[in-house]
Amino acid sequence: METLNNLLAGFQTAMLPVTLMYCFIGVFLGTLIGVLPGIGSLAAISLLLPVTYYIEPTPAIIMLAGVYYGAQYGGSTASILLNLPGSASSAITCLDGHPMAQQGRAGIALFMTAAASFFGSMIGLALLVAFAPAIAELGLELGSAEYFALMALGLVAASTLTSGALAKGLAMVLLGLLLGVVGTDVSTGVQRFTFGFNGLAEGLSIVALAMGVFGIAEVIGAVNRPREGQLRNDRISLRSMVPTRDDVRRSWMPMARGSGIGSFFGALPGTGAAIAAFIAYAVEKKVAREPARFGKGAVEGITSPEAANNAAAQTAFVPTLTLGIPGDAVMALMLGALILHGITPGPLLMVEQPELFWGLIASFVIGNLMLLVLNIPLIGLWVSVLRIPYSVLYPAIIVFICLGVYSVNNSSFDILQVALIGALGYAFAVLSFEPAPLLLGFILGPLMEEHFRRAMMLSRGDVTTFVDRPLSAIILGVTVAVLAWAVCRRTAAVLRRREALRMAG
Amino acid sequence: MTDKNYRDLLGGLLVAAIGLFAALYGQRYEFGSLQQMGPGFFPILLGVGLLLLGGAIAAPAYRRQGAPIRVEWGTGALVLGSVVVFALALQTLGLVIATLAAVLLASLADRNLRWPGRLKLAAGITLLTVLIFVTGLGMIVPLWWRF
Repeated sequence: METLNNLLAGFQTAMLPVTLMYCFIGVFLGTLIGVLPGIGSLAAISLLLPVTYYIEPTPAIIMLAGVYYGAQYGGSTASILLNLPGSASSAITCLDGHPMAQQGRAGIALFMTAAASFFGSMIGLALLVAFAPAIAELGLELGSAEYFALMALGLVAASTLTSGALAKGLAMVLLGLLLGVVGTDVSTGVQRFTFGFNGLAEGLSIVALAMGVFGIAEVIGAVNRPREGQLRNDRISLRSMVPTRDDVRRSWMPMARGSGIGSFFGALPGTGAAIAAFIAYAVEKKVAREPARFGKGAVEGITSPEAANNAAAQTAFVPTLTLGIPGDAVMALMLGALILHGITPGPLLMVEQPELFWGLIASFVIGNLMLLVLNIPLIGLWVSVLRIPYSVLYPAIIVFICLGVYSVNNSSFDILQVALIGALGYAFAVLSFEPAPLLLGFILGPLMEEHFRRAMMLSRGDVTTFVDRPLSAIILGVTVAVLAWAVCRRTAAVLRRREALRMAG
Repeated sequence: MTDKNYRDLLGGLLVAAIGLFAALYGQRYEFGSLQQMGPGFFPILLGVGLLLLGGAIAAPAYRRQGAPIRVEWGTGALVLGSVVVFALALQTLGLVIATLAAVLLASLADRNLRWPGRLKLAAGITLLTVLIFVTGLGMIVPLWWRF
């Protein structure tokens, strides 16, 4: 009953004209950047961060969240029409979505992915509403030792479960934590690593860091990247989007399974929408009666992963909103936006900022409905967006990044900071380091240091406090297990490669 | 393929160098004890961690083959240059000149674009920028130079 009342109050917040407008801007931009290959939701959210300084925290978070889940809708459009994923989480949709387009069923594929996206979002959202209050209550019982352990788990999971080498992911996390140290130390007031620059007293700007790493560094890598795929010239009419009865019948169970898989992996730290979509596809192929249909335009091959990545995009908010622990870099940016507004994320958020929490939840429903309209009747708009060449886009992106960073403090020094961080980010990208763990570490760094200090102070310098407290011990145990599993997987891969080389040689 | 994995070799050394720097530079802050951690404790801990990880990345790379490092020097210089030019020109020459210059410089990186296209692009983006940021969002920024 209480939840229902809260939800109603949330809808009151979310239905305010201003909030509706920011929600729409969010989902619109989200679809746009989701459609465009070469710009991710991280870059778009970083671009919008400066804007959030000027608006209230609730519409700000609603807008940023809209970009995130809107991108999950838009991502499949490029996958289907161009065989080029618009975002990482819809890469798997290429496998069956593009063959459907080649068979002249592009309209149906676009309709079914939008419908599956909506279905997945609603399931994920329902689970978020069901579990968030309980988890937040649990979060109130946690001490600093447990928080430190949870953050360690989040960081380790995020850096090892993604692609790329284990040690390199961990190195990026530590580097992020180190960059988070820059600025005035909260406990002692000492300025650390500021090198005499007054502009660094409040730490590196999160906006500059995010834009440098995800904006500038990404643009440098993308300008002359070869772009395959030719947009077919067929018009997508509303009539061509009507699915056959067979399409609908085949999609129910895959959508339900995909939503379940997505909800589960979305809530876990480190595994986000992309991994959820891959797993959903693999499961679908395994349970299918005719697995041979996959890869040749099977409708289950697009509805299941699209339901999964959208469900994951919703449940990803569970640890972020209830415990203040982000599972991936996008969620870390959301937390960063909350912190910019002086709101401490954590289990008290739901109690202290009910209109923010429940308003956000209600906005998910409204935003997803808007997305349904944006992605079905207005699909033609996005198809024409796909015709904009990257050579037109990237200079505009550069200018927008510069002006966005400048607007935060009216300072040209901040733009130069972006150039420096962009250069560093590109250097690491060239050496194949993942950038996302860096941002996660940067945002969690100050929180982690504080909890570490507090835990050690309470235990009078006894490190065993982390294993003496049962919950903290369990979480750290899981962390070690994740690390061990990653090491094993890597060793196995190396051994297999050696074996293959020996057989070949 | 190259004889060594230069990506990891170089990356590991870079990480180790940053770690070493943090650990040494952190010495100037009070280290404290486990019970009362000083401001130097966490950064030095991180520095040592980075040093070790850097070593762990670089050492095996010495005996492993790898993909060659491919750097887009030209694109990198043009894109970063365009950001720097924008930063320097914004408050002195104004938004219009800064945007025109930044777009023209950045567009040199694209091999498919010709000069008429570049000029049209620069004019278009400048118009859009002024319309969105100054007219639309009411941002306070000099449009032209002031002497």
